[in-house]
Amino acid sequence: MNNLEKYNKAFMEILNVAELDLESLEYQKISAWDSVGHMQLIAALEDIFDIMFDTDDIIDFSSYVKGKELIAKYGVTI
Amino acid sequence: MEKLLKGKNAIVTGARKGIGYAIVESFAENGANIWACIRAEDSDFSANVAEMSKKYGVRIKPIYFDLSNEEQIKFAFKEIMQEKVPIDILVNNAGITHRALFQMTSLKTVKEIFEVDFFAPFLFTQMVVKAMLKSKVQGSIINISSTSGLDCDGGRSAYGSAKSALTCFSRVLAEELGLQGIRVNSIAPGITDTSLITLNKEQITQIVSETALKKMGTPKDIANGALFFASDLSSFITGQVLRIDGGLL
Repeated sequence: MNNLEKYNKAFMEILNVAELDLESLEYQKISAWDSVGHMQLIAALEDIFDIMFDTDDIIDFSSYVKGKELIAKYGVTI
Repeated sequence: MEKLLKGKNAIVTGARKGIGYAIVESFAENGANIWACIRAEDSDFSANVAEMSKKYGVRIKPIYFDLSNEEQIKFAFKEIMQEKVPIDILVNNAGITHRALFQMTSLKTVKEIFEVDFFAPFLFTQMVVKAMLKSKVQGSIINISSTSGLDCDGGRSAYGSAKSALTCFSRVLAEELGLQGIRVNSIAPGITDTSLITLNKEQITQIVSETALKKMGTPKDIANGALFFASDLSSFITGQVLRIDGGLL
């Protein structure tokens, strides 16, 4: 499984969304991606990619697309 | 004797002496493995905890970082996480004290006090909570505050305010983390016999005379409270402040 597939899988499993909906997905636009879901997603991504997000990046992680950009800061290419 | 923390893993900051050291000893005696956090390497401390570790059959690992340095806090946390064991208990004990009239307290001093007594535990707890949530532990977080943060004594505009902030922070956290099974409580020690005391003999006598028990607390008295909050004995208690002050009524 490549990094993009791992990234997508985390969103789909934790937020229970379909792959087709990922690109337009934004924080707090669906009920599953509330603050609790957000922290679950962050924890899962940290585990998957063996990284530790700075708090500022957790706050900035506002969408599926933005998340890819932020993860790149930690040396993970998606 | 039943070991109240058998198999649990705890982080204790400010572990080198006084209340922190007593908490490490109490937790070790009760079966917890401990990351004992202190500011800088100290061979006496390392030797003492190695002996304690042997005595109680637990693992105690010294971790070194300066709480006024954000990068060091993050580095220390990564060091702990590398061990890949769950963190069940966090005791934010490290702190610095200050006593001066408001008019003689510089903003620089206030910032220094808040850096160690509030911002550092805030940041460190943020990291630890993330780890607790990942490993789905029924965690316990204990913040060592002070009666100065509750009673707002004169001369404590910086220290008391920082400790008040820590107490409020504990309650907010208790509310936010309750659903995930993480309890957060704080302990407000009164006058306790540690090196942090900034009072002269007469002042100590005066304060002690105002307590119901007419004596000064010991680090062990405070550690007993921390043990209670860390253990399942307090499994239905969160968001509380326990005064351990000999009865400052």
